Amino acid sequence: MERTKELLVNMGPQHPSTHGVLRLMVKLDGEQVTWCEPDIGYLHRCFEKLSEQKTYPQVIPYTDRTDYLAALINEQCYVEAVEKLFGDAIQVPERAQYIRVMMAELQRITSHFLALGSMALDLGAMSAFLYCWRDREKIYSLFERITGGRLLYNYLRIGGVRNDLPEGIIGTPQDGEDKADKTIWGFINYFDAYVYPQWKELVTENRIFQWRTQGVGCLPADVAVAYSASGAVLRGSGVKWDLRKNRPYLIYDRFEFDIPVGTSGRGDCFDRWWVRQEEMLQSSRIVKQCLQWLAENPGPVMAKVPRVLKPPKGEVYHRIEGARGEIACYVVSDGGANPYKVKWRSPAFTHLQLMPLLIPGHKLADIIPILGSIDIVLGEVDR
Amino acid sequence: MDFLKERFPDAQFATHVNGDTEVLVPAAQYEEAVRACYDAGYKYCSAVTAIDWQDRLTLVTSLARIDPAEVGARTIHIKVDLPRTGAHIPSIAGLYPGANWHERETYDMYGIRFDGHPNHRRILLPDNWQGGYPLLKDFTDRRPKRPRLVRHRFAE
Repeated sequence: MERTKELLVNMGPQHPSTHGVLRLMVKLDGEQVTWCEPDIGYLHRCFEKLSEQKTYPQVIPYTDRTDYLAALINEQCYVEAVEKLFGDAIQVPERAQYIRVMMAELQRITSHFLALGSMALDLGAMSAFLYCWRDREKIYSLFERITGGRLLYNYLRIGGVRNDLPEGIIGTPQDGEDKADKTIWGFINYFDAYVYPQWKELVTENRIFQWRTQGVGCLPADVAVAYSASGAVLRGSGVKWDLRKNRPYLIYDRFEFDIPVGTSGRGDCFDRWWVRQEEMLQSSRIVKQCLQWLAENPGPVMAKVPRVLKPPKGEVYHRIEGARGEIACYVVSDGGANPYKVKWRSPAFTHLQLMPLLIPGHKLADIIPILGSIDIVLGEVDR
Repeated sequence: MDFLKERFPDAQFATHVNGDTEVLVPAAQYEEAVRACYDAGYKYCSAVTAIDWQDRLTLVTSLARIDPAEVGARTIHIKVDLPRTGAHIPSIAGLYPGANWHERETYDMYGIRFDGHPNHRRILLPDNWQGGYPLLKDFTDRRPKRPRLVRHRFAE
C-alpha cells in the first residue's frame, strides 16, 4: 500500500475547541496523530512581575484574572498565603471562613458546569451546553448580589471578606426550583433534585458520548503522579488525593464530603468527566453544611488589619485544591508593602504537559475530548 | 524530614510558617538531594521556581508526596544558591517529567540553564525573544516606546 507523507497541522491559536489561545501542533499520518506539541504564551501578561510592583491587597484583582472561571478560588489561594505570612497577627473570623468555603464550592460548581458543558459542546451536544449555561447563570446572579461582580469578584480581603451576605440570600431549606436564582438554598435544592439527575441522563448515560470518551486518553495512576497531575485528572486515574482532605486549609476539616475517583481503572476521558460530575454533588453537600451554620451564626466578617499591610520577612508556599487541580502560590516577603516575589503554580499549565503523552496514537477527532477532559483555561496557563 | 538531615548534615534547614521544610544545599549536591527525596516517596514535583535576591538567585524546587492516607501533607523545598548570570544546574525532568515545563519557565524568566533538559526552549516568551529575563529585579523593558496618540481635533 502506498503511504502518504506526514502532515503537520496547526490546531489553534484560534481553533474553537482550544478554549482560548492555545496552539497545538500535530503531525498526522492519515487520521492518526503521531506527534503533538503545545505552544503557549499567547496570553502571557506577566502577572508575577506586575504583582511585585503592587501592594499586597492590590494583587488580589490580578489573581482573579489568572483562572477567570474560578476566580474566587484563586483569590482564596493568594489571600490565605499572605495571611499565613502574618502568622497569628491576622485571625480570620469564623463567619468569613464559612463564607469563603461556601463561595469556593459554588465557584467550583460553576467551573465544572463550564468544563463539562464545553466538553459536551465540542463533542456535538449543543443542548447539554445550553443547560449548563442556564444553570451557571443562576449562580452568577447569586454571586452578583453577594459580591457585586459576575465573573471577576475581588471579594476576598486579607483578613476576611469584603461584605457579609446580603439579607435573605441564604433562604430556607424548603426553597425550591422557583427560587433557584434568588436564594442559595433554592439553587442547591434545584441542583440536587433537577440539574444533576438530568445531566446524568442527558449526557453521561448517552451511548454516543460514552463511545467518544471511554478508552480515550488513558492515563495510568503512576504516570499521572510523575507528570504532576492534580485535581480531577489525578483522581480520574484512581488516586484518591484531594488537598481539601489531605492537607486541610481553611476549615475544610469540619465538613463531611467524599472524594470521587475514576471507576474504570483506565483513567480515560470518561473517568475525568465522571469525577467532575460527582464533585459537583459533593460541593453541594459542603454548601448545605455551610448554609446551616451561616443561618444561625451572625458575626463579623473582617478581622482587624493594619491600614498598610506589611507582613514580616518570610516565605510561604500555599497549596489549595482549585477547580482544575492544585493551585499554589509562593509568596516571598521582604518586610515591605509589596510582595518581593509571587509565583503562581497553575494546574492547567502543568496539565498541558500531558498533551504530548496522551494524544499520539489517537485519531485527530479524539484530541477534542482529551483537551476537554483536561479542562484548561488559557488565562491560567499563560498568566 | 529526618532522612535529609541524616544525609546532608551540613545543609541549612528551615521551617516555613505553614510547616513546610526548606533545605539549602550546595549546587553540587542538588541532584543528590532531589534523588534522596524521590527515594523517600516524594514523587510529585509541585513547582520549580527561583527567587532573585539581587546578589544571587535561589532556585526552589518544591516536592511533595501523594499518599491518600496522609492528612496534613507537607512539602519539601530544595533550595540552591546560584550566580545571577550564567547559572546552570542539572535538570530533574528525567526523574520528574512534571518538572519539565516548570524548568523551562524558570529558564525563560530567570535565565537559569538546566543541563540535560529534554526540550530546553523558551515557553511563555516568544522563541526569538532578546529582551533579557523578565523576572530579574533589574530587568528593564528595552522595546521601543509606542508613540503617544495625540487627540485629533476636528475642524470646527
